[in-house]
Amino acid sequence: MLDVSTGLGIVALMGAAATIAGAAEDLESDIGSQSNPNSQVQLAPQVGVLHRIFNKAISGEPPAYAFYSSIAATVAWILMTANVNVITSFVVGSFVAALFHGAYATTAYLGRLASQRRYGQPIYLDVIHNHLLGIMGHGFVATFCILVLSYTLWALLKHPFPFVMLAFIWGITIGAIGSSTGDVHYGSEREFQNQPFGAGLNAAYSGKIVTRAEIGTRSSIDNAWFCAKFGGPATGICFGLIIFLDNWRTVVFDPRMAVIVGFAIVAILIAINRALEVFARKTYGPYPEKVAMLGGGE
Amino acid sequence: MDPITAIMGLIIAGILIIVGVHLIPVGGAPAAMAMATGVGTGTVQLATGAGLTGLVSAGYMYHIAGVPLLYVLLSGGVGSMLMLGITMLVGNLIYIFGVGVPPVSAKVKYDPITRDRQDIYVSPGTEGHGLPTVSYVSGILGAFCGGVGGSLTYVTLHEIGLSIQLAAAIAIGFFLANAVIAAYNIAGTIEGFHDPKFKRLPRAIASGILVSGVISGIIIAAISFAGGVV
Repeated sequence: MLDVSTGLGIVALMGAAATIAGAAEDLESDIGSQSNPNSQVQLAPQVGVLHRIFNKAISGEPPAYAFYSSIAATVAWILMTANVNVITSFVVGSFVAALFHGAYATTAYLGRLASQRRYGQPIYLDVIHNHLLGIMGHGFVATFCILVLSYTLWALLKHPFPFVMLAFIWGITIGAIGSSTGDVHYGSEREFQNQPFGAGLNAAYSGKIVTRAEIGTRSSIDNAWFCAKFGGPATGICFGLIIFLDNWRTVVFDPRMAVIVGFAIVAILIAINRALEVFARKTYGPYPEKVAMLGGGE
Repeated sequence: MDPITAIMGLIIAGILIIVGVHLIPVGGAPAAMAMATGVGTGTVQLATGAGLTGLVSAGYMYHIAGVPLLYVLLSGGVGSMLMLGITMLVGNLIYIFGVGVPPVSAKVKYDPITRDRQDIYVSPGTEGHGLPTVSYVSGILGAFCGGVGGSLTYVTLHEIGLSIQLAAAIAIGFFLANAVIAAYNIAGTIEGFHDPKFKRLPRAIASGILVSGVISGIIIAAISFAGGVV
């Protein structure tokens, strides 16, 4: 077993890698328009809104990132067993995963937009040229950080699961987090900036996404620029906190106490969530049209 | 571990996973546009993300810490709760500060836990948004059940003689099989234990017992034919 200070340093390193991975993963899914908000991009041409947004729902984000991370970890593992330097192995592994990512992104974009020909949606080759490196680059950063995280857990904290399997598991987890947190900022706010702030999307406006940018026509890189201000960092902090807190409790406390500390953290999370809910209800208040329709009063 | 105990362990694990998935508030694609209450992603994906985080915690406790089985299972549950708890909290932060909506349920007029009025806080044309306290607590309970279920699967598989790698791989597959059954039963979105869809739980449990029984039977038979260790 490691001494506490060394263990804490390792856990902090893992938390930092997870934070960068989370932010990069979310911004990649914004540039590529993957995950749930892409349902609106897919729907847009059918309601007469033609656009220059990238469209690549290859799969849900968790299986996609499990796939990229597993490819990267497998390549890295093969290189490491051939006595190649660990960091070089990670770089090459993540690069190979980025190539797969780029191939899937291209075929997904072409396939999806070709199926929308009947609605008059053009296929823009320059959209592929402009976005592909951004998608692959952010994917590379996310995959590389997942490899760092998994290798640290496996090699330094001596986790019994194989390195490649840990990368697979963290790939699933980061995808689940990215599509649960940061994508809400993209789907609820950025895609529908023509709707008033402070309301969910009215079902009547489904598919009517914004296609004009701050200057010119909106691209998915504009979307990543916007989401990098809140959704991306929030996703990074979310994944970083999960990795840090879950490992911190096992490194600092003895195993039995670690379970009790875990329950205590969960209780604090419930309390913070309740405080946030009360704050939001007091700050925003009820919707006047709902009060008129249903009657007010608590 | 004798075969009957192993099969019973896996069936109980399957039931826990199915109950857990039903408790986790999932709004699917509509929640990503703040059109439905719950986390804005798919049922299986979120539950699996939480469950596998718990599996990593439980695997560490089981092999490295050498604590009794109860602590291994509890650690799996705690790992899952932490993953989902933080994810739901950050999700709520984005709903509140990024979208400007309060967390609210559209399935009940009053939150069963806080007694807060819900319907007048639902923005027009939506089915709720964010994670109100009842959904948050339900999600925490669901993550705990899922984490314990995933950990119990792994421990049972390892105890009957499978290697660490194989036990973990089969545990992931077993978790996904049961989560998919639950997702079919939920059919899209669920807000938590207060959602009317939660009443469909018994039929998912019945299907889960069948599936878990068949899978565990195949594993036990394979181990028997392979001479005790796979």
